[in-house]
Order: sequence, then structure tokens, then C-alpha cells
Amino acid sequence: MKLKDLISPFFVWQRAFEKPYTVSMRPIEERPGAPAYRGFHINLSEDCVGCGSCYTICQNHAIDMVEVEGLEAKSGDSGLRPRFDYGRCCWCGLCVDICTAGSLRMSNEYAWFTTDADEFRFVAGVENKSWDGRTGGYHRHPDYHLFPPKRVEMDMLGPEESVESFTEVVKGYSEEQARLEADRCVECGICVATCPAHMDVPDYIRSIRDGDYEKGLKLMYRTNPFPATCGRICTRRCEEVCPVGILGEPVAIRWLKRFIVDQVPAQEYQRILNDQPGSSGRRVAVIGAGPGGMSAAYYLRRKGHAVTVFEAEDKAGGMLRYGVPSYRLPDAALDKNLEYIRSLGVETKFNTRVGRDIQLAELLDGYDAVFISTGLWVPSSMRIQGEDHPRVMAGLRVLDEVANGRDPGIGKSVAVIGGGNAAMDAARVSRRLGAEVTILYRRRIEDMPADPEEIHEAQAEGVRIVIQAIPVEVTDAEQPGRVAIKWGEAEMVPDPKGGRPRPVLQEDRMHLDSFDTIISAIGQGSDLDFISKQDQEQLEVKWGKFIAGDYQATRMQKLFVGGDVANRTADAISAIEDGHHAARGIDRFLTGSAGSGTP
Amino acid sequence: MNTVDEVLDYAIGQEEEAAAFYASLAQRAEKAGMKDVLMDFSHEEQRHKERLLAVKQGEHELTPEQNVVDLKITDYLVDVDASDDISYQDALIVAMKRERAAYRLYSDMAEKVPEGELREVFVGLAKEEAKHKLFFESQYDDRVLSDN
Repeated sequence: MKLKDLISPFFVWQRAFEKPYTVSMRPIEERPGAPAYRGFHINLSEDCVGCGSCYTICQNHAIDMVEVEGLEAKSGDSGLRPRFDYGRCCWCGLCVDICTAGSLRMSNEYAWFTTDADEFRFVAGVENKSWDGRTGGYHRHPDYHLFPPKRVEMDMLGPEESVESFTEVVKGYSEEQARLEADRCVECGICVATCPAHMDVPDYIRSIRDGDYEKGLKLMYRTNPFPATCGRICTRRCEEVCPVGILGEPVAIRWLKRFIVDQVPAQEYQRILNDQPGSSGRRVAVIGAGPGGMSAAYYLRRKGHAVTVFEAEDKAGGMLRYGVPSYRLPDAALDKNLEYIRSLGVETKFNTRVGRDIQLAELLDGYDAVFISTGLWVPSSMRIQGEDHPRVMAGLRVLDEVANGRDPGIGKSVAVIGGGNAAMDAARVSRRLGAEVTILYRRRIEDMPADPEEIHEAQAEGVRIVIQAIPVEVTDAEQPGRVAIKWGEAEMVPDPKGGRPRPVLQEDRMHLDSFDTIISAIGQGSDLDFISKQDQEQLEVKWGKFIAGDYQATRMQKLFVGGDVANRTADAISAIEDGHHAARGIDRFLTGSAGSGTP
Repeated sequence: MNTVDEVLDYAIGQEEEAAAFYASLAQRAEKAGMKDVLMDFSHEEQRHKERLLAVKQGEHELTPEQNVVDLKITDYLVDVDASDDISYQDALIVAMKRERAAYRLYSDMAEKVPEGELREVFVGLAKEEAKHKLFFESQYDDRVLSDN
């Protein structure tokens, strides 16, 4: 060893007595972050819907979606919130860019001192942080989107052309349009929970991006054997909750569903779906060949049970055929779904009304289980003076006549009473029959139960809507063969119990208008007269609807119910789910996996 | 009916009669589910009776000053029969019409008696019946006029 090596450490010590070159700051003064600095996250929990897009896009797996105490999952909100792990975060800001609700941003706070490393993993917006209220930091620029906020526009017949015939108004997406629209889906799955049939929306939309329509079809048939139908007329609650719709327009889920179905010819269904029903030796009777009954028939057949459907009309489809006009749902689309179900060996007995041609008791005796899905076919009456006037028709009757290719003879000027889908359909059908149409509705446009799109299209086709108009009396018009309706204006008053505002007639503001026909479409009820009094004692019926228990079972052994006659929503997708649910219940009952089958 | 007690006894009797009317109709009802609906109506009338009994015993007060919304649904509906095959819609119409008749009776009586305690009682009873009418009219508005 050299001498220098021994002495040199002592030379270092001489520096200890020199003035330091570093700067000491006590207390530490933090410099503020730059205005657009990507610092600690801020999430407005009340605006967040827990879609998990931030979790999906994070390349570092720095985000988990976690349950939060006191926050329940509900329609349109998963109930989960993002938890950030600052041991992994690289502050790229992609989570902010993708946030569908616009609830997530980054503050310009960057200093966080703690001795507990676990604290660096936190649920933003739930665990209070000092930077929560800060306005600086990184926000997504309002004009910058990772997905287009507007949906791909659908090609439709113009209103002038559409009223000329019953041709389908919506033309459907092209392949290019469908892929562009499918690209807008963030695959969060919020829609799956809200869809009554819990259709696997993200995956079938992905099948469009992948160009694998056969896979898409298979996914849809898992929970819905009416995709061609629902792809056209579904009430699409999925779109109401689609998080992409919070800052833009929701993904056009209904049109994408239709696109997939339209790509696959009916003759390919058997090969693709590969349904090969066995034979369980059990027989099930289904009453009603509407969406509920035929959905049950499909899933029961798949389980190998023999199914016979009893239908009062001469064709299957129920209200979808006789209540939904062909410009919205062409027979060909409906038949594509129905024929596939029938092709699996479902027997259908048309023109057979239970209660008239065969009794419920006979079905209960002759079959191992019975499913009732008879729908709502009795038009509600206005119960006002003069309603029995020969120029007053029920909306359902008009729709039924047109569906059967007959002219209902409505004349050239029509008043439609009501604000539901049946009223809109009756109004738009009347336009196609050449009539000038006025809708009288007792509440406001926003209170109408009809699909807003239908309302808009009706107006575009020239239907005049008079809101807050309460009909009080029907009389003869001055001109022979016409009818007059007396109606009064209404003021909306708040409901003391917090419901929708209620209309109150203003008797000093009455009007009298004449028309060729008045179409009443104020609602529909059930006809349960085929249920014997003895059976009524056992069944639970409230306000004209069956009360169903678990798996759509009733208090009567081996009797199940579903569809409009047993649910509150009375739409096709709910009926389809009821049929599927009942099929599961009936199968459990028949195979002994659920005891007696009673609720 | 010259005293407050007499008026209240009459009103209590009317509620009792209404409860019996719906219970009897329920026994005869032929349509599915109507037995339960009519028994619900009967129980509702029973509750009205108990409320008036409480008023008579000083445990509860009428509220003649209260404003009750009149939806005027009943006024333009045709009369319907309380037949054995009564529907839910018609059962509501029967109920609304009965409440409206009672409201009118007490309102007319209130106008005929001199100002004072008796008038206050008639006005209070009229308001009670108006509330009952609103109860049934709200049901009609929600369930029968759902698409209208």
C-alpha cells in the first residue's frame, strides 16, 4: 500500500469546515406544480359511475375498481370506484382522457410525505385528500376525445318518404358504419346489468370489431332468442345507462345488435347456434306465442323438453306482430326469430284460445308444466261520455287491422288520445293511411311513456301533438259521419308524494274539435277470464297482473307466468327475459333440482 | 244533525257502510285479483272510520284549513255499475264517485249551517273526503291513465 492511500481520507475531512455548496431550506417551501401538471388524482365520486374505463386503459395496472362502503350498485352505476396505486402510476393521464363520466382529473399537487407506504394506495374521491378541491392540474381538453362523442348517424327514410308506405324507416348500418360505432364502446359492461335479459353487450359489440358475426349471434342467443326483433324495437335501457352517453351520445347498442343479425342469413342459424335439443320425456304447455311464450319455448326446447304453444291468433309473435307496425318491425325480421325457434321442434297450435277452445285445467292435467304469457290485449276505456260513438276506435284495433292487411277506415283527419308507444304507432300508421293526425295528451312531452325517438319521428312525419289536453266528452260533429271531442287544457300540479306532476283540468279553457275518427290508445289491460274462480283463489293477481315468485313460479303447482301479464315494464325485452327465467324455473322443477317448483 | 257528535256519528256510519259495501262486492267479484283490490278499498274505508272515531274522541283533529288538490278526473267519467264482474278501472271509478258524492254532501251542508263549530266540522269532513277522492284519483291517474 502506498502512503498516499493512507493519508487521502484525511484530506476529505478538510471539506467539512468549508462553506457548503447546497442550499438548506427550513421549513421546506414547496413550489406549486405547473398549471397543467399531472399530479395526484381527483375523482368526483358522485359523478363517477364506476365504469372501470380508467382501470382498463391503465398500462401499469395502477388502478383497481373497489367496493366502497355506503355505495350500492344500481342501474347505471356499478357501485365500484377506482383505487390508485402510486407505486405503479406513471402519471400518463390516460385514465383522465378515457373517463366517460368526466369525473376524473389530476391535480397539480406532487408532494406527499408519509412513513406508511400503504397510504400511497387510495380511493380518490372517497378518501379525503388535501388536494381534492384544487382547480389546477390536468383536465381532458373538452375537444379531445379518445372515442367520438357522437354516434354514427343512422341512415333513415326521410319523413316525407316514410309516410308514403310501410317500408322500414331505419335502413341499418353498413359494415364500415357498424365498426366505427362499435369502436365507441368502452366495454365497461354497465349495460349488461341494466338489460333485463342481461345480454352480453360488450362482447357482441367486440365481435363486430373482430368481424366475427357468428360469434356475436351465438352470444346474443345465450339470453335472447329475439335479437332481430330487439335490434329494431327494443326499449334499450342499456343505452340509457351507457356511460359514453354521459358526455356524448350513448353507443347505438340496438342498431349494432341489428347489424349482427342482419349479417347472418336465417338458413345459417342452425349450423352456427348448433342447438340440438334432446328428449327429456317431459311436456310443457305455453299459453301465448308472443316474445315471452316463444322465449320460454326456445330455452325449454334447448333443455330437451317437448313444448306446445297455444296461440289465439293465426300467427306467432303476439303484440310484436299485431301491435308493432311493420315500418318499425318488418314481419321478415320477426319471422327470422320465430321460425328458428319453431325449427327446433316447438309445436304451435294457432287459433286456439285457452278458456274457449281448451281449458287451463286440461293443460295442467295433460302437461308437466304450464307457462302463461298472454300479454295485454284489452284496450283501456276512456270511460267518458259518448265514448261508444261509432267513430271512436281503439288504437290496438287499428294496428291489428293494418297488421292483417285490412283498411281500418279512419278517414282523413284523426285524433289519437294517449302518449305511449301504442299511441305513437297509431298516429304514425294513420299518417301512412293518409290522415292528418293530432295527438291529444293530458301531460307534457317529457311525461310521455313513448320512446323519445318515436315521439320525434312522429312529429317529423307531421303528427301534431297537443300537450296538456284532457278529453272530457265525445259527441256527434256538425258534419255527418264525423265525430267531435270536447277537451280541456290542463295545468300541471306537483304530486305531494313526489311522483310525476299531475294534470288538473281547467274548466274555463275548453275546446271542441271535429275529426273523422278518434283513436283511443290510453293503455292496455289483461284478459284473465280464462282463469277459473277456483284457480283465482290460489293465484296472486294485482291490478290485472299476475304476481310471480322466484323463477316466475306461482302458488299453483307447475304453473308459471311471465311477460306483460306479469311484469311492470310491459316491453318485449322484459317478456323475453321472463320467458328465459321461467324456462330455467320449469327445468329446475321438472328435473327435481328445485323441489316443488312453487315460489 | 244539530250537534258535532251527531255529524261525526253520521260520517262514521257512512265510512262503515262504505267498508261493508266494498267487502260485500269483494265476496261477489269474479275477475282475477279483484277480491283483493276491493278488500283493500274496504280496509281503506275502515281506516277512514277509525280516523273519524279518533276525531270524535278528541285524539285527532280535522283540518278544514288544508288545501286539497282536485284532479277533477271523476267529474267527467261516466257512471259504472258495481257489478260482479267489475274491473279494476271500474272499481276505482265507483270509489272516486262515492268519495265525490260524500265531498259534495259535506260541502253543501257546510254552506247551509251558520258559521261556527258545526260548519268547521262539515268543512273538515269535506276536506277528508276530498283527500280520499285524491287518493283514488291518484291511483287512477297512475295505473289506468298510465299511457295518457
